[in-house]
Amino acid sequence: MRQLIRASMFGLLCWSGLSQALSYEPLGLDALPADLEWQTNTALPVSPSDQAIRGGTLRQHILSYPLTLRTVGPDSNSSTRGIILENQWSLTGLNPNDESIVAVLADSWAYDADGKTVYYRLREEVRWSDGEPVTADDYLYTLEFMRSDAIVAPWYNNYYSEQITDVKKYDDYTISVTSAVKKSPVDLQLAVSISPTAQHFYTLDENFVLEYNWKIAPNTGPYQITQNSIRRGKGKYLELERKDDWWGDQFEQFKNRYNASKIRYRVIKDNNVAFRFFEKGDLDLFGLVLPELWHQKAQGELYDNGYIHRLKAYTDTRQPARGLFLNQADPLLADRNVRLGLQHSMNFEKMIATVLRNDYERLPQHYTGYGDYSADIQPRGFDLALADQYFNAAGFIERDAQGYRVNDQGTRLSFTVTYGTAIHNDRLVILKEEARKAGVELVLELLDAQASYKKTQEKRHQIAWTGWSTGWRPAYRQHYHSETANRAQTNNITNTADPAIDALIDAYRASEEEAEKKDLSRQIQQALHERGALIPSYQVPYTRLGYWRWLQLPQSGYVTRTGGGLFDLFDPVSGGIFWIDRSVKKATEDAMDDDVAFEPVYVENTDWRQ
Amino acid sequence: MKLDPLTQRQFKRFREIKRGWYSAVVLVLLILSTGFTELLVNNRAIVVNYQGSWHFPTYADFKPGTTFGLDYAYETNYRELARHLEDTQQGWVWLPPVPFSPYEINTYPDQFAPHPPNAEQGHYLGTDTAGRDVLARLVYGFRIAIWFSLILLVTTFAVGISVGCAMGYFGGSFDLFFQRVIEVWSNVPFLYVIMIIASIITPSFSLLILLMVLFGWMGMTWYMRTATYKEAARDYVMASRSLGATHSRLIFRHILPNTLSLIITFVPFSITGGITSLTSLDYLGFGLPPPTPSWGELLKQGTDNLDALWIVSSVVGALVILLVMVTFIGEAIREAFDPKQHTIYE
Repeated sequence: MRQLIRASMFGLLCWSGLSQALSYEPLGLDALPADLEWQTNTALPVSPSDQAIRGGTLRQHILSYPLTLRTVGPDSNSSTRGIILENQWSLTGLNPNDESIVAVLADSWAYDADGKTVYYRLREEVRWSDGEPVTADDYLYTLEFMRSDAIVAPWYNNYYSEQITDVKKYDDYTISVTSAVKKSPVDLQLAVSISPTAQHFYTLDENFVLEYNWKIAPNTGPYQITQNSIRRGKGKYLELERKDDWWGDQFEQFKNRYNASKIRYRVIKDNNVAFRFFEKGDLDLFGLVLPELWHQKAQGELYDNGYIHRLKAYTDTRQPARGLFLNQADPLLADRNVRLGLQHSMNFEKMIATVLRNDYERLPQHYTGYGDYSADIQPRGFDLALADQYFNAAGFIERDAQGYRVNDQGTRLSFTVTYGTAIHNDRLVILKEEARKAGVELVLELLDAQASYKKTQEKRHQIAWTGWSTGWRPAYRQHYHSETANRAQTNNITNTADPAIDALIDAYRASEEEAEKKDLSRQIQQALHERGALIPSYQVPYTRLGYWRWLQLPQSGYVTRTGGGLFDLFDPVSGGIFWIDRSVKKATEDAMDDDVAFEPVYVENTDWRQ
Repeated sequence: MKLDPLTQRQFKRFREIKRGWYSAVVLVLLILSTGFTELLVNNRAIVVNYQGSWHFPTYADFKPGTTFGLDYAYETNYRELARHLEDTQQGWVWLPPVPFSPYEINTYPDQFAPHPPNAEQGHYLGTDTAGRDVLARLVYGFRIAIWFSLILLVTTFAVGISVGCAMGYFGGSFDLFFQRVIEVWSNVPFLYVIMIIASIITPSFSLLILLMVLFGWMGMTWYMRTATYKEAARDYVMASRSLGATHSRLIFRHILPNTLSLIITFVPFSITGGITSLTSLDYLGFGLPPPTPSWGELLKQGTDNLDALWIVSSVVGALVILLVMVTFIGEAIREAFDPKQHTIYE
C-alpha cells in the first residue's frame, strides 16, 4: 500500500513537471499541421548479401571493462560506452556516403516551415528488448530524463534544454522534436533525432547514479548485453546476444544483417597480448592500422597461407582530433608564448618518418575533414628557431646544466605528459628527445588507461596525449567554451576559457544560416589555432584490418565513405553486414592442422580513395 | 684491519671456491664500474680538443653545438663533431667505447627501428623499437637495477634485523605483539598494492624502494628472531650481563656479530630478489616510468617483438649471466660459512 501511494505521488510529481516542461496536454493533444510533406528513405550505403548466414560468435577485445553500464553520468564516457550506446537506436540515421537521412525507429518525417521542428511517424513495430512497445511517451521521457539533475550529466542537461527545446506527442506514434535554432534539414535531423528512453525502467532520484551502474537498460537495437556479462563476466568480458524476436527482422532494410548470434568482447588489457590472441584464433578480427603491426607483425605463415585475410580500405572523412592537449590552467601553459614554443618543439615529422613508417600524415588541427566547416590551417612544424623566439619571449632564455630552459625564477621548462597506452611509448619518446633540443623537458607519465582518462577528465594533467572521436559537425562547446573550462568531468581538457572564442561559439550555435555557420566555424578554428592549446599529431586516411577467413563480407559495397560497414556490428545504417561461416571455420581449422595452405588474400578497397 | 682467525679461515675458504670467487670479483668490478658508466657508454665525448682548447663534456654542463662552431644551440652531437673536426682539422674527439646514450634515438636512412646489430654503426647489440642502442640501455639498466637492489638490501636488512633482533632479545609480549603484526602484514598482497599505486601515480625510484621495503622487511625478522633467541640464551651472554653490560652492548657487541654468518648467507639471494622484482615490475609496466633504461622494459619489448631477436636475447643473456654469478657467490658464501667446517661439538 505504501508503495502504491509512493508510486502515485511520484506519478503526480512527474505529471505536473511534464505538463509544465513539455507543454504536453494529456487530454487535448495538439493537432498536426495540415500541409506536412512526409518523406522516407531506406536506401543503405552498403549492400548486404543474401548469402549471409545467421549464427556464430564474433570474438573481439576491449582494453578495459567499463566502469558502469550507464551511458550518462559520472564515469560513463569510456571507450566501451559505444557498445551500449550503439544499440540504443534513434529516430533516424545518416547515410554517410551521400549524407541523406535514413529511417530507423521512425518510418517517415516531415519538416515544419519554421526550420526548427521535425515531425516523425514512428514505426509501430518497434519494441524494447523486454517486449514493451516503444511509443511517443518514451520520447517525451527522453527529454525529462536528460534534463534531470539526477543523472549528473551537465552536458546532457544543457543539450536537452538549450538545443532540444520541445518534444510533442500527437498520438501514440506521432511526435515532433524542436530544436532551439533554425538549421538546414540534415543538420536539423541530426540535432533532433533523439533516442527513446524506457520510461518503465528508470526511476529518477538521487540514487540514480549508483542504482543504474550495473543495470541493463532496455534497448531497441538488434543486440542486448547479457546478464552473464555482469554476473560472471565482470572485469573479464562483455557479451551481447542477438535478439531472437527482434522487431527489425520484419523490415526489408534490416534483412541479411546482424548475422552473428553473439558478440563477445574479452577484456585484454594489452594490445600486444590481444594480437597474440588474434593470431591464435581466439579473436576473429584485429585492427592493423598501427604501422608496426601492418608492416612487421602481421606477416608470416598465417597470412601467406591465407588463414588470415588482410584488408585496407581508404576513407574520405572527418579525422579524430589526436595530439597533445595543453592544460591552460597550468601556470606555465597559460602563457601563449610557451604554448607556441611547444608547438614548434614537437617533432611530429620525425615521429611519422620513423616509428610510423611514413604511413600517417600530420594533422593540421582539431577539426579536420569537415568540408566547408574546416578552415585551411597549416600545422606548426618543428622549428627550433621559432621555438627559441617564443620561449625567449616567455622569459625562458637561459639553459641549465642539463640543457633545459629556465626562467629568472629558476623554473625549468618541464612538463608532464599523461597518457594511457604503452603502445605509444616509442612515439612519445621521440617527441621527448627532440624537445630536448629546444630546451624543453617532457616527463612521460604512463598510467593505466582508466587512470589516465580520469586524470584528464578531472583536469589534473599538464599535457594529455589523447584523442577525441569525430562528430557530424564540429562540436566546439564541449571542448573549448569557458562554460566547460576548469570543471571536472567535461571534455574541455585544455581548459580554454576565452571570451572571444566563447562569443564565436555561442554565435555558431545560435546561427541558423548555413553560410554564416561555416564562416563562424572557420573563424573559431582560426582563433583556436592562434591560441595553440592543442598540438595536433597525425591523421590516418584509411583503415586496415586483419580477419580470419571465416568472416565473410558481401562482394561489393561493404565499406562506406567514413570507413563504416565492414565488420561494424550495430550501426542501423551500415552495420551488421558481415557473417560468420562456421563451415569455413571448420575447414580452416582442419587445414591448419594438416598444414594445407589457401591463397593469401589482401584486399585493397579504393572506393573512397581521395 | 685485523680479522679474527675464524673470519680469515672463512674468507680463505671462500677464495678456494673458484667460481664463487671469480664471480664475486667480476660482480664487484661491474658494480664499481657503475661509478663511471658515463665514461664507457655515453654520447658525450670524454675529451674534445677544439682549436687548441680542451673540453671534458662527460660530467660537465651541457654544451650547445655553438661551443664547437656548429650551427645549433642544443646538445652537441659528438659523433658528428668527431667527423666534422676530422674533416676540418680543427681538433679531435675521444669518444667512449659505446658512443650512445640510453635515451638517444638513432635513425638511419631507409631503415626502420629496431635496427639489427651492426658493428659499423656502433650498435653491437642492435637497437630497440625506438632506435635506442640496446647495449647502452642494458648497461644503464644494470646500474639502476643493481643499485636498486643494493639499497633495497641495506634498508630491508636494517629494518628486518633490528625488529627481529629486538623480538628475540626482549621476547615476551613485545615478541608476541610483533609476531602478530608481521603475520598480518605478510598477508597484504604486495604485488597488487604496487600495481594499484602504479596505475594511479607514476612510481619513482625512491617510491618503489619505499614500497618494497614496506612490504619486504618481514622475511628477515623470523630468522633473526630465532638466531637471537639462541644466542641470548648462551652462557657468554649471561656472563656479560652479569658483568653489567647494557642491552645495546649485548646486542651489538655480542649477539649480532655471532649471527653475522646467517645474515651474509642471505645477502646474494636478496640481491637477485631485488633485481628480479624490479625487472618484473618494469616488465609489467608498473615499475620506473619510460624512458628510464630498464631490463624489464627491454624484456617487454623483446617479447613483444620476437622477430627482433637481438633485443630479447641480449636482455635474457644479461639476466642469466648476472643471476648465475650471484648464485655462484651465494653458494660459495654458504659453503664458506658452513658451521660444520669450523665448529667442533663436544
